[in-house]
Amino acid sequence: MIRKQLAEEALSIAISTGADFAELYAENTRNNSVSLMDGKIERVGDNLLSGAGIRAFLGVKTVYASTSDLSREGLLKCAAAVAAAAGDLKHTAAVRLRERIFPNVHPARRIPTDADAKERADLLREGCFAAKEYDETISQVSGSLMGVDHTILIANTEGLYATDRHIRTRIAIRAVAARGGENQDGFYGPGRGMGMEMFETIRPADVGREAARQAVVNLNAGYCPAGVMTVAIENGFGGVIFHEACGHSLEASSVSIGASQMAGKLGQKIANEKVTAIDDGTIPNAWGSVNIDDEGTPTQRNVLIENGILKNYMIDRLGSRRMGMPTTGSGRRQDYTFEATSRMTNTFIANGPDRNEDIIASMEYGLYCKNMGGGSVNPLTGAFNFAVNEGYLVRNGKICEAVRGASLVGTGSEILMNIDMVGQNLDCGTGMCGAASGSIPTNVGQPLIRVSTITVGGR
Amino acid sequence: MNFETMKQALVAAAERAGLTDYEIYRETEEQVSVETLKNEVSAFSSGVSGGVCFRCIVNGKMGAASGELLTEEAMEELVARAVANAAVIDSEDVPEIFAGSPSYAKPTAPAPTPADPAEMKRVALALQSATYAACNKVGDGTQSGTVSTVREISLFNSKGLSLSNRVGITGAWVYAAVRDGEEARDAYRSRRGLDEAALAGLPREAVDRALAQLGAAAVKSGKYNVVFDGEQFREFLGTFSSVFSAKAAQMGLSLLAGKEGEQIAAPIVNLTDDPMREGAAMQTPFDGEGVATSRKYVVENGVLKTLLYDLTAAKKAGVASTGNGRRGGYASSVSIYPYHFGLSAGTDSLDDLLAAAGEGIYITACKGFHAGASEVTGDFSIESEGFRIRGGKRAEPIRSFTVAGNFFDLLKNISRIGNTVCWSPLGGFTCFGSPDILVPDMSIAGEA
Repeated sequence: MIRKQLAEEALSIAISTGADFAELYAENTRNNSVSLMDGKIERVGDNLLSGAGIRAFLGVKTVYASTSDLSREGLLKCAAAVAAAAGDLKHTAAVRLRERIFPNVHPARRIPTDADAKERADLLREGCFAAKEYDETISQVSGSLMGVDHTILIANTEGLYATDRHIRTRIAIRAVAARGGENQDGFYGPGRGMGMEMFETIRPADVGREAARQAVVNLNAGYCPAGVMTVAIENGFGGVIFHEACGHSLEASSVSIGASQMAGKLGQKIANEKVTAIDDGTIPNAWGSVNIDDEGTPTQRNVLIENGILKNYMIDRLGSRRMGMPTTGSGRRQDYTFEATSRMTNTFIANGPDRNEDIIASMEYGLYCKNMGGGSVNPLTGAFNFAVNEGYLVRNGKICEAVRGASLVGTGSEILMNIDMVGQNLDCGTGMCGAASGSIPTNVGQPLIRVSTITVGGR
Repeated sequence: MNFETMKQALVAAAERAGLTDYEIYRETEEQVSVETLKNEVSAFSSGVSGGVCFRCIVNGKMGAASGELLTEEAMEELVARAVANAAVIDSEDVPEIFAGSPSYAKPTAPAPTPADPAEMKRVALALQSATYAACNKVGDGTQSGTVSTVREISLFNSKGLSLSNRVGITGAWVYAAVRDGEEARDAYRSRRGLDEAALAGLPREAVDRALAQLGAAAVKSGKYNVVFDGEQFREFLGTFSSVFSAKAAQMGLSLLAGKEGEQIAAPIVNLTDDPMREGAAMQTPFDGEGVATSRKYVVENGVLKTLLYDLTAAKKAGVASTGNGRRGGYASSVSIYPYHFGLSAGTDSLDDLLAAAGEGIYITACKGFHAGASEVTGDFSIESEGFRIRGGKRAEPIRSFTVAGNFFDLLKNISRIGNTVCWSPLGGFTCFGSPDILVPDMSIAGEA
């Protein structure tokens, strides 16, 4: 993508005015998608994104410039822009790069962007057709099948010159159930860090039926009552609770500037002792996995909370400088137009000591959240909210009628202490996480958990 | 490769491929941003990016491909990919390469000039120091910044249409974090321009907003009269704007399907979409298909006057496009979105609305719309903070509650509308605007 010699030249320019470190990130990313609506393929997305970004550090100050012009001229102009903004010193610094090869633990057999578009369209049709056939109330089904082939190059003034390639495949189906002027929807969108072989284990028809099932459940559900309740949250995408309530507050981007409620709490008890939470970018072929992060650091299994004690943060290079702690391979970005910052990969609560059946049986009255939607958080106050896509009231230890329109509201510090039962069916769900460095693929996960008290928004 | 050379290469490739109906859409962006932390500039960033999308009709189907690599070979490949992609489409929509509208409005916004980085740094630093100086409770995490963006869009097609639009926006923001003991509160404010006199009030506003929330208590669940700050209600309009898409209606994804001409809101409700809004930084004379845009009432006196159409949805409905076939970027397909979409002003001051509410809740911050709202159902349950209204006046701060309801019901229940429309200050081609509004009897979930 960019030859070593040109990278050396660009990096020398970037540090020629006083910066103490510079990094070059370049990418070629092929994004393909087919979209279906009303039974017909109506769109084929096909984009080739290419560009580079050069970043310089002066202590904990950063200068960044990016360009979609990957020619020699474009790249050197970008480096000169960094140098001009970094300072007015003049010194020459030779940069010597050495290629480093990182092992690929996320192999892909069939690159989705190379697969025949007709094959992708047929898989999507199969999924959407199954959703439509699920129930007579299903009025509309839309879906997409996406493939990404993302090649990155990272070089820096410490001598690193490395490339990596991430392959991702995802199918997402939304079904709408309608009756008497009312609509309800359901969604399921599993993805993996692998190629088209994903469909050997994930059947499109199952994806479609799951989306339709949720829509039908919600169409037949009444509104969720509001109030403070005991809540059980199911595994998989239920892990969004940890992602929002705690994960973002453990990112160096907010911790390192004192804008997180978790700053300065290493070694302290921040969660119930049943809670152990991990960010692990090394899980083979998981949606949020990468071999190296977007700063060239290998990802790792990073234990964030162990038996309730805060053990570590998620740290990128800048955060590492600010905090005086090693990077955890957490520097990620959507694409070259963003500077990398500390982000999550696959973040989950580990299995705990409680049997799942005991968790439900323990609830006299409360809400069982079988499927969660997205959410958001304010890292400063820890205040979060997220939507319950499929919920049921629990009475006397039994799961009862479905309820719709619920949301969970609280603060990270409260809920972590209030997770008082942790089950044993750990599973992960696929998501996209949006933050300062753009939208990136992340997995969330957990086993079934019980939260002793939380505010349920409903009506 | 400049646009002219690229265009020639694409036209030549299209002709070699035997294409007669095609379109070239180019978008470029230059942006600069400055961020401060404590008392120094902590981050400076600049970027130049852009790409091109080639669309063509093959056997009655529209294929598209896009990219940022702008070499001769890449242009040849782009055309080949677009042709191949068309073969996969089986939608019965009738695509069109648009021949042009009779006339296009002339933007009244001043021609954009890239901001001077030195000035951007100076202004950001001045805001940061004024924010810290505003109160000794301001602390770590407080940041200020400036941003500047210039965007250029060019569209050329085989029907001879050739259009371009160059726009820009410059602005500043302050994020204030205040602490009192263990309690932390924050607020974000932004404004257009870099004029220091005009920005002088920004730090104080952010700090005052954050301070006002200190000591916020929980609120009891129940039904309350709610005054929504215009800045918050415009987020509702943004979240639910897709229900006004004719495509969503045709697909059964909007409950407004078949309701054109019907009363869907209280008679005091007027919603307009104005692509060339006076005073907006980014005005849009033509949409992503080349159709001239225009100002229109979407809802007038509570009646749904029109949905928003692109060429395809319009053809299906047998009407003309409203010029709302937008592209989110060079790589995005044409989708229906509004431009400057807002609720028109009424006559009440904020004090009038609070007085009319009597006992209730004044909502000054909402978040998590992507999680707590569904355009398909209209249902929402949104995390909020604000103040109690007691005796018709703003009283103590409250937090950690949700306001829940259904957007379509809410439109019918708006009982009074404020006299000043607040537009999102740093929005681009799409901005949402709303005055403060009063809605009686909203569901609030707080403590038991």
